[in-house]
Amino acid sequence: MEVESFLFNIVILSMIMNTALALYGIFTRPSLVKKIISLTIFSDTINTWVIIIGFRHAVPNPIPPVVIEAPTPQYLKQFVMRAVDPLPQALVLTAIVIGLAVLLFLMFTTLQIYRIYGTTDVRKISRLRG
Amino acid sequence: MSRPIHIFIVISLVLLVVLLSMALSMGGFGFTIPPHDVRALARLYLNTTFNLDEKYRYISAMSPEAVTAIVWDYRGLDTLFETSVMFIAIVGALAISRGASEKLLKSSPPKQGMSLIAKTITRITIAMILAVAASIALHGHLTPGGGFQGGATIAVVPMLLIIIFSLYLFSKMMTVYKAVTLRSIGLIGIALSTFIVLIIALLYGGSAYIFQNQPKIYSYYGLPSYIEPIVLGGTLLLFNIFEAFAVAFGFAALLILFTFPEDIMKNIIIGDE
Repeated sequence: MEVESFLFNIVILSMIMNTALALYGIFTRPSLVKKIISLTIFSDTINTWVIIIGFRHAVPNPIPPVVIEAPTPQYLKQFVMRAVDPLPQALVLTAIVIGLAVLLFLMFTTLQIYRIYGTTDVRKISRLRG
Repeated sequence: MSRPIHIFIVISLVLLVVLLSMALSMGGFGFTIPPHDVRALARLYLNTTFNLDEKYRYISAMSPEAVTAIVWDYRGLDTLFETSVMFIAIVGALAISRGASEKLLKSSPPKQGMSLIAKTITRITIAMILAVAASIALHGHLTPGGGFQGGATIAVVPMLLIIIFSLYLFSKMMTVYKAVTLRSIGLIGIALSTFIVLIIALLYGGSAYIFQNQPKIYSYYGLPSYIEPIVLGGTLLLFNIFEAFAVAFGFAALLILFTFPEDIMKNIIIGDE
């Protein structure tokens, strides 16, 4: 049993567990603010998970290079042998922005609900009329 | 819910994670993670992102930062549309908090903001934050980062100004209307920097390429990807600058709306009915 593989598995399974706990928070907490906090934990966990899908265990694990001048073809061949998948990172970049927009709208709606009804408890809001 | 059952749930969850990961790392599912190789698609991206080789030269995106190249070049102005989604969120926020204008802030309280120590430190840190944000946005085609990340870092400045110097002082510098207008100018700047090569090509008669991974053999006009030996990334630099501008002012508008005094907002809502 390799130690690195074991630690990597612990990270992935903790993320699955974190997703489950965040979903539990979304379903059971009565306050809208706590629901939104759980939703952000949920989306951040999923984003980290997607980045880990693109991970590659290269030996020796390289330090990300900062390329300012044009690299040589030989260097690039080495780079392709060791670099991680960039596509999940680009997808997560989009997901973060969209998630931020949704979060901002949810927060404004919650703020307005609090201003009008004086509460963010879903049990009380569902009983309101008019 | 009692205390012992909470402890029992936590212990069982931790045990589940540890035991499952032990089973996985021993090869219980027939494969081991992390993988030692990436997909063929990833290898294609890594090969064509920046390559001066004869084979890849004309399909390369000419940006050392693969994520920025994918977001702008391979997916064709993807970030413009995702910023538009954020713009729709701002429109929604403006619609919800309608009637909240800075004119209502006229009666400012005598004592504004935090203490002198906090204000002096904020004045120093704001310069540092702006320097870091400029570095993130301007080096978006070289290092991890880019327009959106730089803009989000700049947005820390209005947040600090509102919390430490109070909204009354900040609304003299920046209003919601001004911030949304500047944001729209940033979005128009992205569109203009897309078409700038097309305008040049039309003036001189010929065809142009916007992104570096478009067919470059058949067209002669385009922004330079690198001037020896500095890498510029073609249009990426302009895109990142305008994107940072747009995102920063979008956040500024939202922060003003968020921190609007609660008693004034209550008056607006009651006044409507």
